[in-house]
Amino acid sequence: MNRILSFKLKWLLLLPFFLFLVVGAFAQGILVSGKVTGNGGEALPGVTIVLKGSSVGTTSDVAGNYSLNLPNANGTLVFSYIGYVSQEVVINNRTTLNVSLVMDAKAMEEVVVVGYGTVKKSDVTGAVSSVSSEELSAYPAQGTVQALQGRAAGVQIQANNGQPGASFKVRIRGGTSINASSDPIYVVDGFVGGALPPPEDIESLEVLKDASATAIYGSRGANGVIMITTKRGKAGKPRININSSVSSQNEINRLDLLNADQFRAYIKEARPAFDLGSANANTDWQDLIFRRGAIQNHQLSFSGGSENVNYYISGNYYDQKGVILNSGFKRFSVTSNIDIKASEKLKVGLNLFAQRASQQQAYTQEGSGGLTPGVISAAFKFEPDQPITDPNTGRFTVARLNDPQDNPYAVATQLENESLNDRIQGNFYGEYDILKELKFRTTIGATTNSGRTGYFAPTTLNVGRTVGGEATVSGAKSTLLLNENYLTYTRDFGTSSNFSVMGGYSFQTSSSENWGGTGQSFISNAVSYWNLGGASVWQSPSSGLTEWQLGSFYGRANLSLLDRYLFTATIRRDGSSNFSKNHKWATFPSGAFAWKMSSEPFMQGISAITQWKWRASYGLTGNQAITPYQTLARFSNVYTIIDGLAVNAVRPTVVANNDLTWETTAQLDIGTDISLLDNRLNFILDYYRSVTRDLLFSVQLPQYSGYPNQLQNIGSVENKGFEFTLNSRNLVGEFQWSSDINISRNRNKVLELPGGNELQYSAAPGHLVGLGNTHVLREGYPVGTIFGWIYDGVYQEGDEFLAGGGFERMAGGEKFRDINGKRDAQGNLTGEPDGVLNSDDRTIIGNPHPKFIWGFNNDFSYKGFDLNIFFQGSQGNDILSYTLMELNLLSGINNATTDALKRWTPTNTNTDIPKAASGRTRRVSTRWVMDGSYARLKNVALGYNLLDSITNSLKMSKLRVYISAQNIWTITKYKGYDPEVNYMSEGATNSNRNLGLDYGSYPNAKSYTVGINIGF
Amino acid sequence: MKKFVNKFLVLTLSGLLLSCVDLEEKPVGILAPESMFKTTKDVETAIFGAYGWIATERLYGRQFVTALMLRGDMADIGDRGTPAERQQVNDFNMDDNNNMVNQFWPVWYQVISASNAAISGAESLKLPENEINHLIAEARFVRAFSYFHLVQVFGDIPYIDFFITDPSTVKDISRTPQAEVYQKIIADLEHAKQWLPDQQPQGVRSRPSKGTAAAYLASVHLTLQDYPKAYTEAKFVIDNKARFGYGLVPDFQDLFRAPQPGNLQEHIFAIDFLGLVSGDGGANDDIIPPMTGIRGADAPKSGWSVSVPSMAVYNTWDSRDYRKEVSMDDSALIGGVLQPYTVFANTKRPHIAKYARYPGRSNSEGRYSDHNYAAMRYAEVLLIAAEAAAEVNGPTAEAIGYVNEVRARARNWAGKQTTFPENVAPGLSKPEFINLVLEERRLELAFEYKRWYDIKRRNLGEQVFKGPNSLEPHANFDPNRDYLMPIPRNEIQVNPNLNPQNPGY
Repeated sequence: MNRILSFKLKWLLLLPFFLFLVVGAFAQGILVSGKVTGNGGEALPGVTIVLKGSSVGTTSDVAGNYSLNLPNANGTLVFSYIGYVSQEVVINNRTTLNVSLVMDAKAMEEVVVVGYGTVKKSDVTGAVSSVSSEELSAYPAQGTVQALQGRAAGVQIQANNGQPGASFKVRIRGGTSINASSDPIYVVDGFVGGALPPPEDIESLEVLKDASATAIYGSRGANGVIMITTKRGKAGKPRININSSVSSQNEINRLDLLNADQFRAYIKEARPAFDLGSANANTDWQDLIFRRGAIQNHQLSFSGGSENVNYYISGNYYDQKGVILNSGFKRFSVTSNIDIKASEKLKVGLNLFAQRASQQQAYTQEGSGGLTPGVISAAFKFEPDQPITDPNTGRFTVARLNDPQDNPYAVATQLENESLNDRIQGNFYGEYDILKELKFRTTIGATTNSGRTGYFAPTTLNVGRTVGGEATVSGAKSTLLLNENYLTYTRDFGTSSNFSVMGGYSFQTSSSENWGGTGQSFISNAVSYWNLGGASVWQSPSSGLTEWQLGSFYGRANLSLLDRYLFTATIRRDGSSNFSKNHKWATFPSGAFAWKMSSEPFMQGISAITQWKWRASYGLTGNQAITPYQTLARFSNVYTIIDGLAVNAVRPTVVANNDLTWETTAQLDIGTDISLLDNRLNFILDYYRSVTRDLLFSVQLPQYSGYPNQLQNIGSVENKGFEFTLNSRNLVGEFQWSSDINISRNRNKVLELPGGNELQYSAAPGHLVGLGNTHVLREGYPVGTIFGWIYDGVYQEGDEFLAGGGFERMAGGEKFRDINGKRDAQGNLTGEPDGVLNSDDRTIIGNPHPKFIWGFNNDFSYKGFDLNIFFQGSQGNDILSYTLMELNLLSGINNATTDALKRWTPTNTNTDIPKAASGRTRRVSTRWVMDGSYARLKNVALGYNLLDSITNSLKMSKLRVYISAQNIWTITKYKGYDPEVNYMSEGATNSNRNLGLDYGSYPNAKSYTVGINIGF
Repeated sequence: MKKFVNKFLVLTLSGLLLSCVDLEEKPVGILAPESMFKTTKDVETAIFGAYGWIATERLYGRQFVTALMLRGDMADIGDRGTPAERQQVNDFNMDDNNNMVNQFWPVWYQVISASNAAISGAESLKLPENEINHLIAEARFVRAFSYFHLVQVFGDIPYIDFFITDPSTVKDISRTPQAEVYQKIIADLEHAKQWLPDQQPQGVRSRPSKGTAAAYLASVHLTLQDYPKAYTEAKFVIDNKARFGYGLVPDFQDLFRAPQPGNLQEHIFAIDFLGLVSGDGGANDDIIPPMTGIRGADAPKSGWSVSVPSMAVYNTWDSRDYRKEVSMDDSALIGGVLQPYTVFANTKRPHIAKYARYPGRSNSEGRYSDHNYAAMRYAEVLLIAAEAAAEVNGPTAEAIGYVNEVRARARNWAGKQTTFPENVAPGLSKPEFINLVLEERRLELAFEYKRWYDIKRRNLGEQVFKGPNSLEPHANFDPNRDYLMPIPRNEIQVNPNLNPQNPGY
């Protein structure tokens, strides 16, 4: 621990030193300026211009213009740009130098970041998608993950909740697990598990998808890897960039609900004996809880450098006021990246990142009802004939028909739920050129995250009133340390053949602490959660510590023959403390082969084809997403009273599994990359199939064992699919138009379960009691398959009413289909109806996986104008709506949607909406399962770059203003308020199994944005 | 080059130092079974876990006891907006996925698992009988107590009497016939009766004594209609009441005025809740007061009107009976004004008062109460003795005397002697007297979760739910189905060897 501390201290001490270093001196002399253009005369921004043999340099701006102070008019300028042939121009006393660079047709030298190194894009043997910094910062996003949505083939990103600051679920080529997390790992500037920087600070983002690319991350590679490279300084004069935008937001949609009169008529019908009293308001609860939201997003960055020291310093501020009262998210971060060339052979650098994020949460997506409902579910279901406050008592109204739950306005305005997170991260690297071909690199990174959440339910709420106010404060702190050491050897054989090999080892350790306390009954609501000591009732405090270690050895070899045949082999051996004592270590190999067909002699002369490459890879990767100590048996405390006093007491809660091991995914990938017409058209097509075996699954034990479940390695699951990406520069010249299309199709299927037996589970709000199991895992079907009855509309007078405990037998009652129940002589079900409704009549009624997902991006530009139109969508996925189930059960316990107006009555029999009737059982049935396909206009943005003449006079290199709108148009048939919803989809256990569920989510927002980008 | 080598070595060594990979997990703050049991104190800690898990929302705090209460004829559904699962338990319309059952079934088995863990831990200490058997006896009592409930509710059940370290050993067991389960319950209770002390420290009733074991033996034998043995055990308790510290409390109300003392003389086995605090998983969370409390009334009687007696229960109960006054509330303060039940907001009927009236320290709806609930109290032992004695020898003076003892206490109306209920008139026939005892149990033990078991063991269903004097008519009642609840559907899916399901589900 001392060692860790001393590392941290060192960085802190070094920080001012580095900051000092970056303040370079810039001499005066003559000014050389000009414009850099490409073959076709188009401006080339970002070209590096350096005075040969010196550290003096700059880069060209968006319009290709540059200017450079030089000590004198002699010497030579070097113009270099990725993908172009470098050019040297003798100055020869000229002050204007316009240069035209020639494209390097032989190889687009763009590089792609892969694990522990980079490769030329043309030499990539695996399946890798790149996302540019422009795409990531196209519109204000609360974080990088959100900005990635729809941008890369094979990557599915869904908000777990629309709440500002809420988490996202990321799936690369489908969920490879059932019970373990399938989130990818993030590698930020080489730091595995590093904090994600804000989108504006990202230079490039690569998604590693196939085993060839991810196996180098071994036991954490199975779910794909997202490699992030942050922006770094370039030699030249200091550059200042300001990006600023403000947005206005509204909830994306609402539900049409019964008004007070309609509601009272419905309740009278459902529960004639119930006394509704004299409430006579007509309250639109949705109106009361929603408000106009807003986002401010600002970034200010400085970058630059000399020949030996480059720097990039950036500050970001993002402030979102949510569309529900009292909700919001803020983050503020600073990034400092310093690169130092200490000698000809030694390079060192340090990335520092610090962020504070604070979130004010509206209570939504509640897992269980209690007396405090979620704001959204309550805005739908709360009785519309009640006012906000009871005129007699002055208190907030509570529900009369069911448990006395608070109204949504009360919950939204009274309940406090806030969190604060501080992240500090430092990542140091040193790189030493031992020989010309042999490089050693070491990195040491540390990241700490400190969080605090506070909760207060004042006495103005039911839940607080019954206990005199309730407050909870909890804190958590986690530290992650990583040390990587590796050698890279490269050898060029000439004749377009080369060889490289990398090998190294790493050690990573993590420690997480948490603690918390709860108090009840306070003198005043004013103390909020900041005076637990003033509580007259103390609840048990909590604390905990978890630690894990991971040690690894890894290596990779690349061989390129004749610039046609490319071979890659990787291997990693990981040892993890999380795994059971019998399985601590495992090995993950992969291999890949690529063939640049276009380099073959027989392809020469086909000028239309710029490059055509075939790729194939196969490898094993793992998923160690099992929490520490999960393999160990344990006793847990039970809060026990003997003789009026709490005593020490325990009971067995977890049973051991000494053979638990990681999930292993074997993935095959076959792909092709085709570039046509001088890269005007680029196609990438991949087919993949992955099979994950030894699935970690919390297997339901017989409850009579005393244990609810046990984590076991069971069965296998398959993901296979196609990914298609097309980049097309449709129009070039003055009017430019380019399009990017990505389409991904993934098929998820459970291949094998223990004994071939299906497993059922429940994923539903706890207060929708009586639902029982809602989902099934069955061989041959995808994970998350929805399981229930077939709803056949309503019974009419004279129908034969099927028998069955809990099923309705009356005209206007819900009618379900009898499809099973008859047993043969051995007592096995025959799949034939038996005239009785019961649990045997359930069947598979929905698949939450989309048939395909897609993104479609268009960029237009004309003169100073640019226009971006970005669509994103999902096709063929089912949604199970608990929201509609709760509202339209029509058993007279809460409000309903206007569908209730079509309910069965003796005079309105031609309907599939049942009559209002109390005591109706909630059932998962086809009535609540709907097609959730959608297409959404995610972003439309119109920008204008002010003319050079204006920007130059303002001493700016760039001035762009834009207006944009997000989520303003959605095409869907889904009857809930938004098809882009999730429920209970967070956490390892839930994230793969609970798909396409809708309950009380914070709605996504529609935004209108104006912004400005300024460069100096 | 030498310089490089040095640098390289330094870097590499620093890496190697960091790489002292130790993959052994050393959890802090987690209790491992291997190292749990070192002294008898640890065995006690494990037994206490079982008590704590009985005093949860899932069992005596709400789910289990509410199901028992609704199943009988003394408590009906009040608010019909309450979840369908409760209505279906009450209305004899439940299916094999009833959520009340799904909630309490696992928890009873977790209590059993806790007691099995304690027994296995106790045995692992290898101590002489006289140092350890009283703790083994205590754990075996808890196990018997749990199985006694389960066997009455479900009939044949999976029976496990060892600590499970590998769940695969029980994954395909069959149900043990109820007769056999009863024999094992009796064996546990006999052991408990042999080894438990006469009184626990401070005389607490939340831990069993020799008398507790005997009282439960009496109850088990009564259920099995082995009346001579039931009589013998009950008589043993009565004869040794001074030794065990048992007796009736003078004022009936004091039984239901929280916080009851831990050594309340009438309590033979008590489930101990402490006010206003609760633990994980619903531990120490008592929700019975709000379940029976009055919707819209002022604290502490306010509640949710879920479990509310039918009007007939109120109307047929003689108002001269102090126990009616203690057991039911026909009026309540609403907004500070005393209002009759006819204007209650949700369910316009008198409500159960035993729990909501004096919950002690609790929230304003009576939740997280201070009650110590009597799972068995001395009055019940007297009534067991009366019933069993009458079954063996007819309505003897001794049998009548036990009932009169109970009635005499009821005549103490908060310190003022009344004349009702009178002593039992002599001259009753045996069936008449036994009926009288059952009626006495219905009223004395009203809403104390005993009535359903009485209906079941005496096969009274058709009479009390379909007869002319039914307090709570249910035409739906089916004696071939409804005396047993279904084994949870999930359990049968996980282990099909639990088939066949109980008839009718």
